[in-house]
Amino acid sequence: MLKVDNVTKYYGENLAVDNLSFEVNNGEIFGLLGVNGAGKTTTFRMIIGLLEMSSGSITLDDQPINYSNTNQIGFLTEERSLLTKLTVKEQVIMYGILKGMKEKEILEKLDYWLERFHIKEYRERKIKELSKGNQQKIQFITAIINEPKLLILDEPFTGLDPINVALFVEVMKEFKEKGSIIIFSSHRMEHVEMFCDNLVILVKGKSVLQGSIKEIKKEYRKKNIHIIGDVKTEDLKNIKGVVEVEENAMEIIVKIESEKYIDDVFEVVKNSKNIIKFMVEDPSLNEIFLNKVGEVYED
Amino acid sequence: MKTKFKFLVKQSLNKKIKTKWFLIANLIIGILLIGIFNLDKIINAFGGDFEETESIYVIDKINVYDEFASIFNNNVKVLDMKDFKLERSYQSEEQLSNMLEENDHEMILVIEEDDLNYLNSKIISYDEVSSLTKELISSALTTLKTSIVVKENNYSEEQLLALTSPANVELKVLNPNASSEDNKDMMSISVIMVLILPCFLLITLLVQMIGAEVNDEKTTRSMEIIISNVSPQVHFSSKIAAGVLFVLIQGSLILLYALIAYLIRILLGGSIISLGSSEIFVTIKEMGIFNTLLKGLPLIIILFIFSFLSYAIVSGVLASMTTSVEDFQQLQTPLMIILVLGYYLSLMASTFNGAIFIKVFSYIPMLSFLISPTLFLLGQVSLLELCITTVISGLFTLIIFKYGLRIYKVGILNYSSEKLWKKIFKSIKEK
Repeated sequence: MLKVDNVTKYYGENLAVDNLSFEVNNGEIFGLLGVNGAGKTTTFRMIIGLLEMSSGSITLDDQPINYSNTNQIGFLTEERSLLTKLTVKEQVIMYGILKGMKEKEILEKLDYWLERFHIKEYRERKIKELSKGNQQKIQFITAIINEPKLLILDEPFTGLDPINVALFVEVMKEFKEKGSIIIFSSHRMEHVEMFCDNLVILVKGKSVLQGSIKEIKKEYRKKNIHIIGDVKTEDLKNIKGVVEVEENAMEIIVKIESEKYIDDVFEVVKNSKNIIKFMVEDPSLNEIFLNKVGEVYED
Repeated sequence: MKTKFKFLVKQSLNKKIKTKWFLIANLIIGILLIGIFNLDKIINAFGGDFEETESIYVIDKINVYDEFASIFNNNVKVLDMKDFKLERSYQSEEQLSNMLEENDHEMILVIEEDDLNYLNSKIISYDEVSSLTKELISSALTTLKTSIVVKENNYSEEQLLALTSPANVELKVLNPNASSEDNKDMMSISVIMVLILPCFLLITLLVQMIGAEVNDEKTTRSMEIIISNVSPQVHFSSKIAAGVLFVLIQGSLILLYALIAYLIRILLGGSIISLGSSEIFVTIKEMGIFNTLLKGLPLIIILFIFSFLSYAIVSGVLASMTTSVEDFQQLQTPLMIILVLGYYLSLMASTFNGAIFIKVFSYIPMLSFLISPTLFLLGQVSLLELCITTVISGLFTLIIFKYGLRIYKVGILNYSSEKLWKKIFKSIKEK
């Protein structure tokens, strides 16, 4: 289990992470979300031991993280952390050996992963000759080559097309099933929603929302009602508790403050003609994120 | 951690050595050294006017040809610069002039009687005659004239020799340990050429290579992955070790190329004398420089290694502080100036014999490896003083490693130049 306990980090007088706490169990995927500069990368760097905390503690299986257990960690940085003059093979061997692996073992696993990511032909090619997407795949392979106990992924889907995002997610789920702890950040909320168990949303280094996605959505009072039919949007806007009415080519989306206003909306809709859809949905994580981040900034 | 350190050293070394550019650079260095050692042979091989035999047809009207030929050929042999063919001709000036080829390799020398000056001469050629040839002919005729004068006045051989031989000047130096200033200059230059200049070039290479490598790892952010797996101390040490190993390998290769070049010269029938340095070698040998060098060599080698380490540490620290290769290149300029300062002070050591200023600088680390060995070989510092210099350099290396590592730890993960010096000074204070 990864335990981040009351961690605070100051850069000089600037507070980068403010009393952050969370736990990630074995076999769990955890999302660390936030806008740029929220403190995500600083948190990752403190977990991996690259930065010292101003206060607090971070442990992996009740042990502080240091050079005695970093071999169990895989880390994918937000920027490409690859030596572009090396070949794919040289790069993976380098990072593998730094993880305490033997060269033979690294090469066996490299061949497997290159095959899996459909880039076997690039084994002897220099990294600078690869496309951004393929470089990201190599970076991902370097992070998982040691089958880490803790896998830290900072914006892992950058530069990837939807097919490769799905491939990455598939591999991440496999590691989850094997019991690895996966902690990652992403700006793409649909990715987070797709496979994340728990998450924390950071704003200016402080946690503003934390817990499982299901609970977060459940506790989030605002709902969206999707309607298809001949309904006058003006009538919907006049209903008490309606925050916003969006109309697109297919449907009307009515955003309400809480569940208690559903009946009021339904009363208006049922008197309209050609109603073929009336569906109440939880808001998307993106909406919750935007709402939460906006709220804090407004404060 | 040992395995990781070894791997990092090996990888860093391979990055420098296992490249086609290293092979190409060494091929060029090897060829250049062989070329420099055999420059005279190469120039000869390509031919040119200098090697063509000049023919001199002598019209002797006063019957002195044999004596003139003897004097002239003797002078040519001593100088060993050009080949001449002397031939007495009994044809007239007009006849011979018509036969002269349209070049400057044939000429006619007419020696005639002169009532006042004993003899008179005239050179006829199609082209301009070289000043060296004119000087040789003039010199031989002057000697011939002296001989004629002596013979006509019945001087003995001894009197002739006394008249023509140069005046003897004997140099008596009272200090038994003193050596001439000229010899010291020569020694200093030879020591600098053989020992210091290659080290100067190798350190320049070392600084640039370590800087570029640290910068590359830092700017690509691979430093984050590396430092998350090995401590900055291990990483820093591996860079220094690989850099110094590279310099030692490259230095050994240059020595090897020089040896091969010398062997090739011997095989081609040349000798070291023709390189124009025979005088230096003879002087060094006569003055016991080789013995002095052997006495101080272990310390000099240790001093060189400490200095290589110091430069490697400083360049690694500077590279860790900068955020781009361009910034590092600017920051390394003071290092280069320190090197140049040491080089010039070393050169001046023979001119300013016993200068306190230079002696003080010979103790300063990072400069000492350039100055101290020269002063030692010139007899201006003792073996003990060289030993003290080496110890100071060793202690300095340890100190800059200790404090440099603190800066390195902070610098390698710092991507902003904002408040850089504040961060650096803060890191030095932190343990």
